[in-house]
Amino acid sequence: MNIELTDVTRTFGRNKAVDGVSLAVGPGVFGLLGPNGAGKTSLLRMLATVLPPSSGTVRLLDRDPSRPAARTEIRRRLGYLPQNLGYYPSFTVAEFVEYFALLKEMPAHQVPKAVAAAVERVDLGPRAKARLRTLSGGMLRRVGIAQAIVNGPDLLLLDEPTAGLDPEQRVAFRTLIRDLGQHATVVVSTHLVEDVGTACSEVALMAEGKVVFRGTPDELTAQGEGHQVGDSPLERGYSAVLAASREQVAA
Amino acid sequence: MTAVALTARTARFRTARFRTVRALRLEIRHSAVVWVLPILAALFYVNAYRTAAGYPPTWTLRASVITQANLAFSSMIAAGVAAWVATREGRRKTGDLLATTARAAWARQATVLAATAFWMVLAYLAGVAVIYVQTALQATWGGPPLWPVAVGVVAVAASCAIGFTCGTLFPGRFTAPIVAVAVFVAWFVGVNAANSVNPDNVSNLSSLKGTSALLVPALLGRPPDVDAGVYYHVPPDVFIAQVMFIGGVLLVMVGLFALLPAARVPGAWGLSFAAGRRLTVVAAAGVACGVAASATAFSLAGTGQYSLTTGWEIPALHDAAGDQSVPYTPDCTGSAFKVCIHPAFAPYLGAMSAALQPAAAEIAGLPGAPVRAEMTPGYSPPAVAGTASVYDYSVEQEGFSGGFWATPATARTADWEQGEQQDFITWFVSGPAEQDAPGLTTPAQEAVAIALLARIGAPVPSYPQFSQSITAAASGFESLSPAARHAWLAANIAALRSGTITLAQIP
Repeated sequence: MNIELTDVTRTFGRNKAVDGVSLAVGPGVFGLLGPNGAGKTSLLRMLATVLPPSSGTVRLLDRDPSRPAARTEIRRRLGYLPQNLGYYPSFTVAEFVEYFALLKEMPAHQVPKAVAAAVERVDLGPRAKARLRTLSGGMLRRVGIAQAIVNGPDLLLLDEPTAGLDPEQRVAFRTLIRDLGQHATVVVSTHLVEDVGTACSEVALMAEGKVVFRGTPDELTAQGEGHQVGDSPLERGYSAVLAASREQVAA
Repeated sequence: MTAVALTARTARFRTARFRTVRALRLEIRHSAVVWVLPILAALFYVNAYRTAAGYPPTWTLRASVITQANLAFSSMIAAGVAAWVATREGRRKTGDLLATTARAAWARQATVLAATAFWMVLAYLAGVAVIYVQTALQATWGGPPLWPVAVGVVAVAASCAIGFTCGTLFPGRFTAPIVAVAVFVAWFVGVNAANSVNPDNVSNLSSLKGTSALLVPALLGRPPDVDAGVYYHVPPDVFIAQVMFIGGVLLVMVGLFALLPAARVPGAWGLSFAAGRRLTVVAAAGVACGVAASATAFSLAGTGQYSLTTGWEIPALHDAAGDQSVPYTPDCTGSAFKVCIHPAFAPYLGAMSAALQPAAAEIAGLPGAPVRAEMTPGYSPPAVAGTASVYDYSVEQEGFSGGFWATPATARTADWEQGEQQDFITWFVSGPAEQDAPGLTTPAQEAVAIALLARIGAPVPSYPQFSQSITAAASGFESLSPAARHAWLAANIAALRSGTITLAQIP
């Protein structure tokens, strides 16, 4: 298993963002769904070794990230796209991706080829020498994806990766992560259920910091039978699970 | 260690070096310093370049600019920009993204600091190069002093480290301007302290004692006299102490920076250091070495002693072998009356000769009349008139503050020439130049000097006892035939100098 979480909790002051989550995820594309404030981003930041858990244990790529040496090794094999991508406007696309390849301590001889390949995979080859300040929001998102995949990660964490992408790019992106998921664990955090339905082999739905559903997209769809809220079967399943979760909390 | 392990280690080192060089190249290309280069260039032109261009082309004097005006603004901007750059990850919201990379935060940030320091030092050295090239094209003596450059480079790098560490510790939007202003204020506090041990500002040289003010880069080790470093080499003692002190500050800042940001990595578990114990030990050792270097320099500065010839010396660092005067052959012109000048000031020989020859001709053949004018160091007292056949003049005496030494082309002005003639005639008539001993001139001496100056077309100087009766006596003496005047002077010059001739005795 590339991800093993056991009763993981993360609090910010009195607010419990992640509440006793246990997960084990192997290679494949794993969707993390949930409404705003469900704890998806906090969970993803813990998986990205940005945040330590307040309690519980985290194991990533069979290593304990609380140990510095292991954490460094995990980070060499990690790709992360945060929800809000910060960037340096004067860098070109290729330079930005190269910068992260260097910071991820890729073997020196692999860097130029890996950068070119990553930029091509997000279809930014013709804009490789464009400065980031000249790119649209969607293009910047693709640059973010390129830096995340440049090191061929074994664990790829994507927070709202399709935000700002046009439909054509979104389709291309889903193909890309399906491809990556054949060898690596790809965790996609999103509130766009169509991304999950088409790209993910497994999905977890979070609400109030807890995982309230885990299964395949088809199983989530099945949860929505008879439920009226939602435009697509998967959305109805999503809404039904959330509604049930809220009822449980209220009860 | 086996050969295989050694090879693997070498390969890892090469790979790490490649990554560092590539990352540094990226940071250099995108450094924010590039945007402030025009400001640096403007400040350099207004302050450093114009100041240097106004100085005579002697190396030590011109080099004083690179540790004064040039360094003041370079340090201020270096600290401000470095503080600004240090806050980049916060401003650009790349913290989360960068925290997930394998490279340690301190190493990543060190690359940014190195790129900032690279540009700032390069800009500083470019300014030095401009001043030195201009000096090289004009100077006729000596060579470029390198110790002030070393002091400047270390000071600029230290300013970058101070700014960067402050920016890392306090990543607010006001950090950069506050740090820049603080460095600028600290600079002027230091300059004020340095002025307190500048012999130009001290009446009693024997009261001068070594203090920490010697560590201020603006202090050269001796005042920036026009002839500094001309007759004697400026010893490197003070520069060495300054490099030690500022280098120590640089080490402390880099060590602190390596320790503190690592503990502040957003993703770090607890307070563990990203690069482990080895970094902690190395950084702590760096801080300790820096403190030791600065403290040593501080105590060495307290032992400084002032020498009239070479300036400040620090006994523990001083090499007495370098105290010998620098041999030279003066450049001379003229036949009956020779005007000689130190070769460092060779371009001014024509102007000096043109000023002195008419005055010398007026007194030629009189008892004690000089047959030669010679440039001497500013600190050595001139020979007393009548006791030597040489008229001594020094660069300080010859109107440095009046701008004469600006450039040879602008040196020769009517005012300056007349001033030279006044000094020369006054010296001959009454002893040492009256501007240095204004109370010594008697009314009779003044009258004779005025008459002689009038003969060569120089205006009446503002002598201290000037009056109508003196003017009248001067007019009478001037109206004598040259032979009569010469004869009277030949008979009475000794008595005139000794002050026993009265106004009424002048024909």
